[in-house]
Amino acid sequence: MKYLFILKAVFHSISHRKFSVFTSIFAISAAFAFLAAIGCVSFGLAATAVNSSLAFPLIVGPTGASDTTLVMSTLFNTDKPAGTLDYGFAEKLASDERVSAVFPVARSDSYMGIPITGVESAYINEISRGFSEIGDDIEAHDIFGENDRKCAVIGSKVAARYEMKTGDTFFGSHGSVGDEDAHLHDFKYKVCAILKPLNGPEDFAIFTSLRNVWKIHEHGHHHEDAEQENNEVEEDHAEGKITAVLVKTKNPVFTAALEREYSENGFTSATDTGRTVRKLLTYMNKAEKAAGFFSYGTLFLVMILVFVTILTSINERKREMALMRTLGIGKLPISLMIFFEMFLISVSGIAAGTLGGHAVMAVFKSVIDFELGINLEPFFFTGIEIRGMLYTIITGVLLSLAAMAKIYRMDLVEEIAKE
Amino acid sequence: MTSFERISIKNLTKSFRNFDGGRNTIFENVTFELDPGAVLRLTGASGSGKTTFMNVMSALIKPDSGSIFFGNIDITSLSEGEKDRFRAENIGYIFQIFNLLTPFSVIENVYAPLAFAGKLPGNHKDKALDLLDKVGIKEFAAKKPYQLSVGQKQRVAVARVLFADPPLVFADEPTASLDRNSSELVKNTLLELNKKGTTLVLTSHDSIFDDVKPDIDFNLETGVLS
Repeated sequence: MKYLFILKAVFHSISHRKFSVFTSIFAISAAFAFLAAIGCVSFGLAATAVNSSLAFPLIVGPTGASDTTLVMSTLFNTDKPAGTLDYGFAEKLASDERVSAVFPVARSDSYMGIPITGVESAYINEISRGFSEIGDDIEAHDIFGENDRKCAVIGSKVAARYEMKTGDTFFGSHGSVGDEDAHLHDFKYKVCAILKPLNGPEDFAIFTSLRNVWKIHEHGHHHEDAEQENNEVEEDHAEGKITAVLVKTKNPVFTAALEREYSENGFTSATDTGRTVRKLLTYMNKAEKAAGFFSYGTLFLVMILVFVTILTSINERKREMALMRTLGIGKLPISLMIFFEMFLISVSGIAAGTLGGHAVMAVFKSVIDFELGINLEPFFFTGIEIRGMLYTIITGVLLSLAAMAKIYRMDLVEEIAKE
Repeated sequence: MTSFERISIKNLTKSFRNFDGGRNTIFENVTFELDPGAVLRLTGASGSGKTTFMNVMSALIKPDSGSIFFGNIDITSLSEGEKDRFRAENIGYIFQIFNLLTPFSVIENVYAPLAFAGKLPGNHKDKALDLLDKVGIKEFAAKKPYQLSVGQKQRVAVARVLFADPPLVFADEPTASLDRNSSELVKNTLLELNKKGTTLVLTSHDSIFDDVKPDIDFNLETGVLS
């Protein structure tokens, strides 16, 4: 009963100082919402990267391409390819007994900033989980067929963003994403299928056949003689040229051996996808940790601010506490009130920030997914967040004990008597 | 009402340190005895030390020397916790201002001291409401102190004393700033308690208390006990 009344007193005291308590809780909440966001985004990025790296253990590209460029330009469609290879190279690689399948790719045009990648039907079969829409005359297992009629297979998010359906047509911009001299030309693509969501970068990609890429380029060469002189290497898709080969090997030992061979031959570059993605994840992890430390620092400052607010309120309430002592209310119940008050503020801030942060992530999940291609897990709790909670609770308890000790040591009535 | 035998004050001295490092003696070597149900009146100009004497007598602040016996118990020798419990069970206060705990409602203010001491009776809410009814502010039971007038606040303090029913009540200028009706109510309640055996320690400049004849009159200004 006694302790229930102390808790009641704490709630009364908190409701009596709504503004400063709200400000304190809000400050802690904001830091926790930030931690929740860091956790969700980094987990989403990592999950996307890991999903993408599992399909193709080896990527081979032209000489001079770094590991990161090979991965980013093929799996994530975010970097420019470093050059071209002959299609014949992919055929030669396919005949290697250590290789189970090869998937040549050629980066070409773009549409509204989204890269259009030339692939074979086998690649679509490899990555697809089926189609949400497919044209009546299209074979699902041989999407481009013998004569693909300028067919484009689009990712689920591209279809959603531009409200595209099968049969729709669009023009690509000549040149890759980010090129200042990219321009529209008259090669008209027709949407022949829409991929089901894959929760990866493919959702935000457009695929066409390799033949189309070569055709576009032939077309571009005829019409743009002046530009031909200045064409950058990634746009040079004469018939039979590709920008990389995604390789499935029979086992990891072969992956390592092939990577070594194709990195050292002087004509190509190769990378072990899993290792490069792990490297990228390590960098992301470092960035996450740096953001985490920044958040912990902010949280610590916020907790100090809450502590100072509590100390200020103790000074403001000195007379009231002296009256409590006069009425026989002991030092321990008064100190406990202050302890619970600070503890409650800390816990409320953590709860509000964590729930609020995750709720905001859930609300904006589709927008972030749509705009940034990051597949968020809004209710996944990361280590950085759980550690943040522990640190804040420990700091909150220590500072609460410090505030409690201050009250316990104060001779309130004597101080007021001296005034 | 818990009761104790007589109160014995022996050689009580209190001083405060001045800004110049010297000491300002408030009272020195005060000795007297109070029987249960007696009235002690503290007089003297403002700043003469009446409130300080009350604080020392109720063990809120330590005397420089001397002892205060409530029966056989020297409260100056009690631990802080024991002093707190002693005050909660034996002493009631009515001050001129700062009487109520602002975060609590009126009714909670009435039973807060015993609630914090863990000594609430089972029917505490009914009893508190009856006492608020007696002092004429039952309808304000759920209000917060800031919603009350000075007179109403003082009535709550009176109800709080009645609720705890202590054997000793300190009333420090209890009717200052009050209207006639409120002053009468406070005075009558104090006298009623005193008649039932409550020892009363009173300071007041209000003429309404002129007809109250103290058993001991202690003038803090002159140091004379009569």
